[in-house]
Amino acid sequence: RAMEQRPSPVPLSRAAAAALGYLRYRRGGPGRALELRELRRARREDISGVGHKYYLELELEDVLDKGRAVTCSAEVLYHLGSKDSAPDVEFTLEGELQSTEEADNVFYSRMRSLEKELEAQNIPDSHGHVPPELEPIHRLAGVAGGYVTWQNSRENTHFHLAQVKHVKQVKRTDEFLQFDYVVLLHEMVSQ
Amino acid sequence: DQVLHIVPETFQQVQHLQLLCSTLLLDLWKPLLPEYIRVEEDLHIRVPAPLVQEVKDSLDQHMISYRYSLVLIPNVQQLVDQSMPRERSSHRQVREGYVYTKYHPMEEIYQWMTEIQKNNSELVTQHILGKTFENRTMYYLKISQPSNKPKKIIWMDCGIHAREWISPAFCQWFVKEILQNYKSDAKIRRFLQNLDLYVLPVLNIDGYIYSWEKERLWRKNRSPYMNGACYGTDLNRNFNSSWGSIGVSFNCSSDVFCGRGPESEPETRAVAQFIEGKKKDIVCYLTVHSYGQFILTPYGSTTKPPSNNEELMKVANKAAVALKGKYGTSYKVGSTALILYSNSGSSRDWAHMIGIPLSYTFELRDNGTYGFLLPPDQIQPTCEETM
Repeated sequence: RAMEQRPSPVPLSRAAAAALGYLRYRRGGPGRALELRELRRARREDISGVGHKYYLELELEDVLDKGRAVTCSAEVLYHLGSKDSAPDVEFTLEGELQSTEEADNVFYSRMRSLEKELEAQNIPDSHGHVPPELEPIHRLAGVAGGYVTWQNSRENTHFHLAQVKHVKQVKRTDEFLQFDYVVLLHEMVSQ
Repeated sequence: DQVLHIVPETFQQVQHLQLLCSTLLLDLWKPLLPEYIRVEEDLHIRVPAPLVQEVKDSLDQHMISYRYSLVLIPNVQQLVDQSMPRERSSHRQVREGYVYTKYHPMEEIYQWMTEIQKNNSELVTQHILGKTFENRTMYYLKISQPSNKPKKIIWMDCGIHAREWISPAFCQWFVKEILQNYKSDAKIRRFLQNLDLYVLPVLNIDGYIYSWEKERLWRKNRSPYMNGACYGTDLNRNFNSSWGSIGVSFNCSSDVFCGRGPESEPETRAVAQFIEGKKKDIVCYLTVHSYGQFILTPYGSTTKPPSNNEELMKVANKAAVALKGKYGTSYKVGSTALILYSNSGSSRDWAHMIGIPLSYTFELRDNGTYGFLLPPDQIQPTCEETM
């Protein structure tokens, strides 16, 4: 077996980005977008034969409930020698997030009452603006973007959702809503 | 939320405060880390509302005295709306009516430079630095108080990466602030007695225009490669500082393509030739980027610290503390290689390598929420805290 090289120190914020992606995927929605306020604490553990595990203490905020900080503990495990698989992420939130039931229902009814399927591009626009009626669509993009960034996160990546290039609602005969998104992801390390 | 102001009197108090901050994960404004808390030195801690009573009880128990103040509204939007009522024209605007709280296309920035020189001709002169690939003129502004004695120079450039719009916005704001407050602010006058300020509001003009007209998230310049099959060199990988060694791509289609060779790009050469010529007098080189909220020190190409690392870090930490004191925005301080990523050919590394002692990269707001698409209502708070 080859000697295990001492890995060079990597900023712990990269693991936080992976955790945030996963969190958005699991907890986000048209009525909830989670942002990272601060990475409070982070440390890395090298588990021989398994991989690198990051223990993180995050301070999050729900953009629709800004006054309140939500503490989250997360563990991110990057598997050894695995170039193709996403890290394992586990998290616990301290306290309850604000309920999105009302916001989700409003979004649902609004979408169902549209005469034509929704279609939009460049969210936010070049000047960072999101029209208020597209805010839930933007937050929903965060969920999809979160999934994609989590799946593509490796120890040397740091992803952010840069912009929704295009979104198109897909016509359905049942009661579900479906949207096709094209999103731009910014990967900071390889820029 | 409240900010507690404490001056620890004994070492036991310091230890208790360190424990308190670590256990409750309190937000330290000054110093930035618990290990820097010292006897008889100011300590500022932002305590979230639900913890205020608990913290104060703990301080009382240990006979630690404190003052407290209420934190500035964390909702910056409110703050900006309050300070800038929409109808009345804000007193913050310079006489000619230029709006500093929105983003401007290059044509307007060119006009602005002309106006600024015209209206402040005792202090400001506009000079040609060179030309871009697409043959546009690069101008810098020199802010200098007339005097007999030779002055040292602080150089600041913005907009080396096209999509980082908050950066040129900051350079414009900076110039405006200095000129508007020169007469009333003794600190600025004293500053300018000994130092000249050279400001390059947009380094990568072709790229900036391209990000307005064609592709908002463009980063590089616009020089063509492979017969026009591919465009753009990352100007911040094109300087002659360990060029091409790490954190770059030799593939033109990459966002970190470092060019055909060091200083292959006209924009790079224009800056490098000028700074090389004046390097004996330049004490500080600043280059402004976004996003990420960092004050970055040399180097990106190696983790080996520069010779004056202690001084670099001390000054940067002071800046981060002052910045945080304005709206609570956290900036991380450290070398690019250690806290961000590896790169080579950056302008900041090159400036330090040729002998400019204080060389910094500023990465302005935000932390990824809007990223490059920072809304204009954040221009004012970003610029205010950075100044």
